[in-house]
Amino acid sequence: MNIKAFTLITMICLSLSLGCGKPAVDLPQEKGLSIQQATAEQVLAAVKNAQGHVVLVNIWATWCPPCVEEFPDIMKLYQKYQDRGLKIIFVSADFENQTESAKAFLKEQGVDFATYQKSGKDMAFINTLDERWSGALPATWVYDASGNQRHFWEGKKDGAHFEKAILDALE
Amino acid sequence: MKKKLTLGILALTFAVGIGFTMGNTVEAGSALDLNAKAPKTEVKMKGVDGAWHTINGVAGEKGTLVLFSCNACPFVKKWESRMSSIGNDYQQKGVGVIMINSNDPSKVTEDGYDEMVARAKAKAFAFPYVVDATSEVARAFGATRTPEVFLFDAKGKLVYHGAIDDNASNANAVEVPYLKNALNALIAGEAIPTAQTKALGCGIKLRSEDS
Repeated sequence: MNIKAFTLITMICLSLSLGCGKPAVDLPQEKGLSIQQATAEQVLAAVKNAQGHVVLVNIWATWCPPCVEEFPDIMKLYQKYQDRGLKIIFVSADFENQTESAKAFLKEQGVDFATYQKSGKDMAFINTLDERWSGALPATWVYDASGNQRHFWEGKKDGAHFEKAILDALE
Repeated sequence: MKKKLTLGILALTFAVGIGFTMGNTVEAGSALDLNAKAPKTEVKMKGVDGAWHTINGVAGEKGTLVLFSCNACPFVKKWESRMSSIGNDYQQKGVGVIMINSNDPSKVTEDGYDEMVARAKAKAFAFPYVVDATSEVARAFGATRTPEVFLFDAKGKLVYHGAIDDNASNANAVEVPYLKNALNALIAGEAIPTAQTKALGCGIKLRSEDS
């Protein structure tokens, strides 16, 4: 093989492994904390990819006190029910320059899986995710293992509320 | 026949039972519909100027702009200068303007009255910035987040509800100035181009209903 051909093949392999165009969206709960930009379509794709599991989607932000307050309850429930198939998709609504703060918070809370940060225009993001959502934070959806949306609420809830919804979707 | 009826009743009972135990739940905000009249227009709310204001009291000859806002929310901070400028400008053009803070300051200390006074001064609000002391006004409007705006025409009917514009982070990168477009159309007597919009915002920290 001459050098030109080798270089060409190497470049093709590299570009394939790095991905061309839109970045791939990780499946939730891939091991290791990460935070990547995602449109509403990509969040919904992640929900779809997780079919077979109960999925809880939570939109939060570091600067949103109710979001921060309910976060530990969600993580406790994740620890409790992950063996029964619960997956969590956290989507940060922090601004573009706050990604590191969001990541630090996630780490502090013991999140060790892939998470997302909202990308794109607000209105398209809100309506694509759910037209019933007003845009207020926090917001939570619970999907059953067949991918059906079972519960949706805006605003902070206590652990018992989350647990009831998760158990309902698990049954 | 009797057997069929019994089976039917059993099936119905089962279906209803499933519905109760596995019903989907939705708890989303339910704001005023377009064309609805402004509620709670006579509720007196204390302004940062020390005077009491009502929505009716500020109504303009062209219409009335009700802005649900606060001090603490980062989205408000991003949009605050634009809200101040729009409020001040359109108040001069015949639109009454009132900014309402419905947050419970015991939950968000930055939303206390003194802090509101300081903020209004710093941002040069030329319109009333008032305290919704029981959060009843936000509840009646179905407002869920800050900032969230409701624009009423001269007859008091809702003609626009939603966001300030389509870019909280960067005023220079706004593609559609929703609220300004609605205000200009209202003043010109034209149809509102986009009557309902949405943006992310901080959930309003309502006071408890027995407060």
